[in-house]
Amino acid sequence: MSLLQQIKNKVRSKSIHVTFVDVGSCNGCDIEVLACLAPRYDIEQYGIYVHNNPREADILLVMGVMTPQWEDKLRILWNKIPDPKVAIAVGNCPISGCVFNRRESYVDPPVSKHIPIAAEVPGCPPRPTEILNAILSLAPVVFRDYEEKMK
Amino acid sequence: MNLSVIWYLREFLSFEWVHKFLFVKTAPLTTPPYFRDYPLLTGKECTHCLACMMICPVPGGIEVLMTREDACHLPVTQSRPPGSDTWNPVIYPGHCIRCGLCVEVCPEGVLMSGRVIEFQFIDNTAFTSTFQLEVDHTLCMRCGNCSIACPVNKEVDPALGGGAPPSSMESVMLVTGGELKILNEDKCTGCKTCETACPNMAIRVVRQVEGIHQEDEEE
Ligand code: SF4
Ligand code: SF4
Ligand code: SF4
Ligand code: SF4
Repeated sequence: MSLLQQIKNKVRSKSIHVTFVDVGSCNGCDIEVLACLAPRYDIEQYGIYVHNNPREADILLVMGVMTPQWEDKLRILWNKIPDPKVAIAVGNCPISGCVFNRRESYVDPPVSKHIPIAAEVPGCPPRPTEILNAILSLAPVVFRDYEEKMK
Repeated sequence: MNLSVIWYLREFLSFEWVHKFLFVKTAPLTTPPYFRDYPLLTGKECTHCLACMMICPVPGGIEVLMTREDACHLPVTQSRPPGSDTWNPVIYPGHCIRCGLCVEVCPEGVLMSGRVIEFQFIDNTAFTSTFQLEVDHTLCMRCGNCSIACPVNKEVDPALGGGAPPSSMESVMLVTGGELKILNEDKCTGCKTCETACPNMAIRVVRQVEGIHQEDEEE
């Protein structure tokens, strides 16, 4: 493994940038993600930073049921994220539609129909520790030796 | 003034403080035992009454299936020989919202989750449910599918499914006099079979669940 790759691995393991998008959730999962930022869970101690800018992000947290307004926009947003990137579905909504997925509703879950989803965190909402665990266990898998794997 | 500067330097230049500032982590986060997580099996026998399925507020959260216990990701217990086929509630993470209602409503105590049962016992609470049937008569085409599919009707009037004319007025609903009539709403068990069987989405089952506080028996 080249020295450059080793440096990249080291840096990436301590600097994971997360952005989150709400494609029609009830706001419960959003609040749980915010709770990760608070001192009790303190996501930044693991080197995870939360942004609202997809162009800076490595990980996209998707929350919500996929309302019609998001059909085209989520793909655009996903394309803006530079490689290496990965999307995590947070909460029941992007996985199954949860309580909103009923007859005569307009929602269009699962989100994996629209963008590739690497991991799912079920729960309504999931605990902040579950979100944290998902990010922490996924990040090394995706980001370590990324350039080597791409060769 | 001078004193406070020295105090600050002493405090914040000490090795201990700098080390903490750079390397401290919060304690590893664990799920507390009282967290109301996805329900687990207690090992008591499920009687297939389906009360848990009927109260579940989300589509596809729980199903009662004839499974081996070890097939439904829940612990195998001693009371039944492991690997035998029995009725078991199966919970689907990704659908289940961990509300604990199924745990609370199960008459046999098959499921457990956090302190739900404990608190139900302390507070002496229970659920009552009634069901209301609503027919949109502009959509209903009087096909009678619902009254044939209804499991309650099947018990009351078994010949109905064979195309015989209705022989009893004890059914939940019947097509009589050119209209679908709801006769005995109180007999409905809320299975929603009629809703599924209706080709025109004309019949809806409205579930009204009420939490009740039972009076203490000695009072
Ligand atoms: S905990 Fe609630 S959502 Fe989950 S299966 Fe039971 S009733 Fe359904
Ligand atoms: S788990 Fe309980 S409520 Fe559900 S079918 Fe079995 S006995 Fe009935
Ligand atoms: S919900 Fe079930 S029991 Fe009630 S009327 Fe419909 S089919 Fe019959
Ligand atoms: S199945 Fe639907 S359309 Fe047919 S009689 Fe029942 S409510 Fe009417």
